[in-house]
Amino acid sequence: MVRLKHRYLLVNILYPDPKISNVRVISKDGEKTPYGLQFRQPSSDQLNIQFLLRTVRNGVAELFGDYGSGKVAASLQIKYFSPATSTAIIRVSRDHYRLVWAALSFCTFLPKPVSQPCVFQVVRVSGTIRKAEEEAIRRARLSIRRAQRAAKDSSIPAAEASAIAGALDEDDEDLDVSMVNGIEDRDQPGDVDEDDEG
Amino acid sequence: MFYDLNIPWTPTDPHLPRTLAFLDDLGYSVVALNHTISGKLPAILTSAIPDPPLPPKDLPRNRLEIKRRVTLVLTETYQNARLAELARAYDVLAVRPIDERSFQLACGSLDCDVISLDLTQRLPFFFKFKTLSEAVRSGKKLEICYSQALLGDSTARRNLISNATQLIRASRGRGLLISSEAKTALGCRGPWDVVNLAAVWGLGQERGVEAVSREARSVVVMARMKREGYRGVVDVVFGGEKPAGLVGEEKKNGEGKKGPGKVDVAGNGQKRKADVLGEEGAADGAEKPVSKREAKRRARVARDAAQNDSSIEAAKAGADTEALEKG
Repeated sequence: MVRLKHRYLLVNILYPDPKISNVRVISKDGEKTPYGLQFRQPSSDQLNIQFLLRTVRNGVAELFGDYGSGKVAASLQIKYFSPATSTAIIRVSRDHYRLVWAALSFCTFLPKPVSQPCVFQVVRVSGTIRKAEEEAIRRARLSIRRAQRAAKDSSIPAAEASAIAGALDEDDEDLDVSMVNGIEDRDQPGDVDEDDEG
Repeated sequence: MFYDLNIPWTPTDPHLPRTLAFLDDLGYSVVALNHTISGKLPAILTSAIPDPPLPPKDLPRNRLEIKRRVTLVLTETYQNARLAELARAYDVLAVRPIDERSFQLACGSLDCDVISLDLTQRLPFFFKFKTLSEAVRSGKKLEICYSQALLGDSTARRNLISNATQLIRASRGRGLLISSEAKTALGCRGPWDVVNLAAVWGLGQERGVEAVSREARSVVVMARMKREGYRGVVDVVFGGEKPAGLVGEEKKNGEGKKGPGKVDVAGNGQKRKADVLGEEGAADGAEKPVSKREAKRRARVARDAAQNDSSIEAAKAGADTEALEKG
């Protein structure tokens, strides 16, 4: 029995538009929210798994037509979505993951009722859902760290800043986001996947 | 290291800091701000983009490096003579041909770094491998700008995909450069998303990665070399001169004791023959090393002197013995 292989795309939804704010920002006067926080803000409440799936399907249909959506339809599934970190894990069959990825890249706007411009960034493509999860956790920790650093750099009382700095310096080295060597996995024979059929 | 070598620049763009921050966030490390000149060149060719382009507080805090680029729209009547002058004012020089003749000219004789076509139009000509390979051989890169396909209408998208596919086919994937030309942050995509897009369009994964990293780097480095290097070929990256702080420290070391000073000299990656010889041969480190001829001459003088001394001694001794005998 040949097993059906999948790819898991770990996707970040970024909001580069200045007008959007899904959270009420409480800031001291004259102080701007750092850009890093603005881009990676939580998603709106109306954005849920069904909505996201519909958006991705429409995107594939728009870019690749009936052929593309037919190829992708059987395997496309949203495995995980967290509105707080705007992170999603999308499952798609290995042969056609590039179609879905390209459709995500071409998506610039979340339709009604959310109605927000957005950018989808695929940050990890892996053969098992576990690796995608690990990467999601790593990135969430990193973005917290970055936000703390940004807060430290802006005007914060000295005592508080030094406390944060102490926390930051612990393990700064393993936080490499650039991923110069690629974000895609090679297939390893030992990989076990919970969605395996047969 | 990922590169995005085309961010349009206008003197009054309130969103530029945001766009730069977004690019930084996506993982790019070098971006180039692009100033487009169409029509006649201005009388005084200076860079329209100030350096640094923004006040430091607006720049992303991380390591984002910003280059300045100029794009000249090539028409029938262009001024070739002043192209070099224009190139000197910016970091990267790109040309945008609008028809087949200017395209051939750009690929052939024109001295530019990047050939950037407007791929959202239906081009009135086909790409030929012969023309493109000529450009690639001389180190020019062909640019694909993806942003208009994302934000534009479906015609623009269709044309861009068509033209990009043609370009990839005709160039066989060599010498391509992918950049955004994004007027807002919304038109930018992460480097790996771009690589995937190129892969869908028919460019191999490896070539795609090169198009946003290695090829783009070579554009920047070659352009710098052309402006600063000796005849565009040789460039002195590190001439072996010591930074001011190090020189002072070394002097101190030399005064204290000889050992560490010597190690420093060796560690600087210089040819250390002169210094070491100077230290060994003469007490004064600043003295020139002694040539063989000079050394021989000195040796001869010393030998003669020694001989003279010994003969004097001998004479003296002789006189003494004589005196003794006499006595």
